[in-house]
Amino acid sequence: MKHLSLAALAAMGALASPALADADLRIFISSQHQPDVWRQVLDRFEQATPGVSVEIETGGNTSEAQAQYLNTLMSAQDPSLDVMILDVVRPAQFAAAGWTLPIEDVDMAQYLPAYAEANTVNGKVVALPAFADAMFLYYRTDLLEKHGVAVPTTWDELREAAKTILAAEGDDSLQGLSFQGKPIEGTVCTFLLPYWSLGENLVEDGALTLDEPAAIASMQLWKSFAEDGTSKPNISEVATDDTRKEFQAGDAVFAVNWSYAWAQAQSDESAVKGNVGVARLPAMEGGQQASCLGGWEWGVSAYSEHPAEATALVKYLSSPDVAEFMAVNGALLPAFPQVYEDAEVLAAAPWFADAKQVVETARARPVTPRYAEVSEVIRTTLNAVLAGVSTPEEGVAAIQSRLARVLR
Amino acid sequence: MTAPHNPRFAWLTDPGDRGLAIMLLAPLALLVTLIVVYPVLRLFYTSLFDHSLTSGLPPRFVGLQNFGLMLDDPTFWTTLKNTLLITLVTVPGALIMGLAMALMANMPFKYHWPVRLSLLIPWALPLAFAGLIFAWFFHSEYGVVNDILRRFGFQPVIWFNSPGWSMTAICLTVIWKTSSFMALILLAGLQTIPRSLYEAADVDGAGKLRQFWEITLPLLRPAIAVALIFRTITALQTFDIPYTMTAGGPGGSTATLAMYIHQNTVSFLDLGYGSALAVVMFLLSMLVTVLYLRMIRARG
Repeated sequence: MKHLSLAALAAMGALASPALADADLRIFISSQHQPDVWRQVLDRFEQATPGVSVEIETGGNTSEAQAQYLNTLMSAQDPSLDVMILDVVRPAQFAAAGWTLPIEDVDMAQYLPAYAEANTVNGKVVALPAFADAMFLYYRTDLLEKHGVAVPTTWDELREAAKTILAAEGDDSLQGLSFQGKPIEGTVCTFLLPYWSLGENLVEDGALTLDEPAAIASMQLWKSFAEDGTSKPNISEVATDDTRKEFQAGDAVFAVNWSYAWAQAQSDESAVKGNVGVARLPAMEGGQQASCLGGWEWGVSAYSEHPAEATALVKYLSSPDVAEFMAVNGALLPAFPQVYEDAEVLAAAPWFADAKQVVETARARPVTPRYAEVSEVIRTTLNAVLAGVSTPEEGVAAIQSRLARVLR
Repeated sequence: MTAPHNPRFAWLTDPGDRGLAIMLLAPLALLVTLIVVYPVLRLFYTSLFDHSLTSGLPPRFVGLQNFGLMLDDPTFWTTLKNTLLITLVTVPGALIMGLAMALMANMPFKYHWPVRLSLLIPWALPLAFAGLIFAWFFHSEYGVVNDILRRFGFQPVIWFNSPGWSMTAICLTVIWKTSSFMALILLAGLQTIPRSLYEAADVDGAGKLRQFWEITLPLLRPAIAVALIFRTITALQTFDIPYTMTAGGPGGSTATLAMYIHQNTVSFLDLGYGSALAVVMFLLSMLVTVLYLRMIRARG
């Protein structure tokens, strides 16, 4: 792999720094983020910095499970972790709690603007991007072609397309659209996608700016998919990885999912290998196409006993070379704009050519230290609406009153 | 063969009954203070503060304000109601199931071990595993429960799509998981009942049912009381099974008080409010314990 040559490593300012002492670092990488591929990157780092070794700790296969584990560890001021991977929604909370060390001398302009923003709190860089992500519309190229259906650009077109294909196929196990309705983090994005598409913001300058008609329209949209047979009636049970499995098993025409689903949908175990299309998510009627910004960040623990070495590691992991390596070998979207145009990356994942525009225009979930509460309010409310426990109107009223207390 | 007598250490070599008792109890008392008394006192202390790690501010003394917030917090009332509902359904449920299982295990089978093993397995299984396993049983598409319903010609149920069915699934799982613990305690109680009592009753012509009401049940009362105390307190603290089965869904309708405490402290990092909620749960558990103890004393 030419990109990770030792010469390239040595050229990096962070590693040329003479201050690095011998240290055994421990890095937390969640199990769904391909720790084995990151291991190859860490091996190069170890080679280039004699005396520093890095051990991986994995855990938690959902964003919430990881956050709970790290919250417990950090509130106990446990020094066992030096570096941790954080969901893009967490750095603000970790910084407010004083759990991450600020990182100095980084040119944030080299990253896609959304990531520069998500990792900067009160003018300080609190974490650095590991990789980018956004939500996409996955579709079955074979089925769309067979039935002469174009890739939908609005949710109503998607409904019609699904109806046409389902009627023609007559296959009971096939559903039109798989999306997330279980009370998990992904469901927050489910709510926000149509809401953003209507041009509304949820939070401006730390204050709640909920537009009730747009919020009701969003909830009605998802509810209608469950009711008119576009999606399965048990959508309130569906988590992100269920969507991935359903699509991969050939049981969904369309699916809303993050970029990680691509590699598995195109793997040899996939029933839809070679028939996977990725497009921008549809818009509401009269609205703009919108996606939800994802991605993961590297933070240096405030309780690390080797802060200088841990910071050097994070700077290395958040470099264009590593982003390119991870794009080619792990199909992870880069946080650097130029890496999307790299020939080797495009050879490995041709759809990255279109992905850049999606990531660039993806909207970020609210950046607030109390994000965990914001998330809980939105996901349980949408889940209740999808299960028919409350109406969209009641749900939106609940979001308004509960979020108004969280975001004062 | 006595050690040279040194009056300075007389209390050590010959402490007397009282002294010996103190010496023997001291390590346990110290341990209990460290792992029970201190944390509980600390919990009460923290509950009087506005202490949120996400605010970036130091803890601020607010007196009973956290408890006042609770009164206006609909989620607190919902989770409290769910907790009490689970307790009221699953404690009697587990008692009846457990008693039936204990009576079966106490029957003179040739081989005891298959019955006793099947008693032990649910008890030995971690709660979270039980929750995850039963979540699959009740899954609307792939679950065995709906498969059975379909085979018998019933409409399958989307269990986790409705608060009522979700709660039903949770209670069934909790009863399955906890009745074996009840059964183990009751089985131990059953084995202390002398066989001669039943033989005498046989001679007197009392039927099996009469023997159960007149001999088994009264003599089993202490064991039942112990089993009920343990089961009620763990029922009030129900966390693992709803957490893994429904995560409180749909829409928070099956969340318990323990889950709400966990959410406030571990996810929201609001230690003050979380501690205040935990104080309520502590007092609730104490209340139940005191009531049971008084009941036993009144009967005994």
